[in-house]
Amino acid sequence: MTEQVATLDVPLVELVDRLLNRGVVLTGEVTISVAGVDLIYLGLSVVLSGVDTIRRHGADI
Amino acid sequence: MSLLLRAIVAAEDAGVAADLGLFSVSGTRAAALASAWDTARAAGEAELLDHHRIVQAVFERVPCLPARFGSAFADEEALRLRLALREVDLAAQLVRLGHRCELAITCAWREQEALPRATIVPARSGRAYLERGLTQMRVERARERRAEAIVARLLSELAIEPAFIRHRICPRPAVAVSMSVLVTRDEIEEMSSRVERLGAQLGDVTTVMQGPWAPYTFAVSE
Repeated sequence: MTEQVATLDVPLVELVDRLLNRGVVLTGEVTISVAGVDLIYLGLSVVLSGVDTIRRHGADI
Repeated sequence: MSLLLRAIVAAEDAGVAADLGLFSVSGTRAAALASAWDTARAAGEAELLDHHRIVQAVFERVPCLPARFGSAFADEEALRLRLALREVDLAAQLVRLGHRCELAITCAWREQEALPRATIVPARSGRAYLERGLTQMRVERARERRAEAIVARLLSELAIEPAFIRHRICPRPAVAVSMSVLVTRDEIEEMSSRVERLGAQLGDVTTVMQGPWAPYTFAVSE
């Protein structure tokens, strides 16, 4: 059961979603980008795809 | 030297992660833990997971609020100023959440290819296009109704105070339910048993529980 879901990257995306979209924000002076995509935009997109997918399609985000 | 925020802890716990290479910026009630960070450095999957590893290491030692990945500050003074603006609220959140863990419960559809891909193959006619869109919409509505039913089962089975549960239905095509629950450490085993028991009864989804994590979902921003 777990193996099947792992293949789909669901657990990783769930974690990445929390790392990028949740947690305390103190409003930093610099916003870091991930794989070349600014987090402001990445935050909107990460719920749709895993990091590898974002990397592959980064230019379209 | 720029700093990347990792977590917020109580002021008396400011030195708890010095051996992890974290700097602490203390206020009177809360402290911010941060790592040295080169803002020209590219971040990727490894840096994201490294952030999680650091937050978890802090969380294993003392109550903490995890920081959302990506907030960098020019120096200690910049971080101190931002902390001072939020310190009272953060200290209150630490008392309420800091000793609790987040468990992530995900129900993923077993049938991944059920949704027709309306935009990939051009329709033969306008009518065919609309009919395909209608079919897709019906499938999506049916999935949403099923996801809502799964949420109801989860809420009933887990029996957790509503304030300690967040959930989304159909947040991605592969996922029926994404749920976060906040529990104490001594509740984890019982919660795991309940999720496993319910997961065995849900034939159309695969149910996975992850955690315990620091309370990412319940730490309020701004």
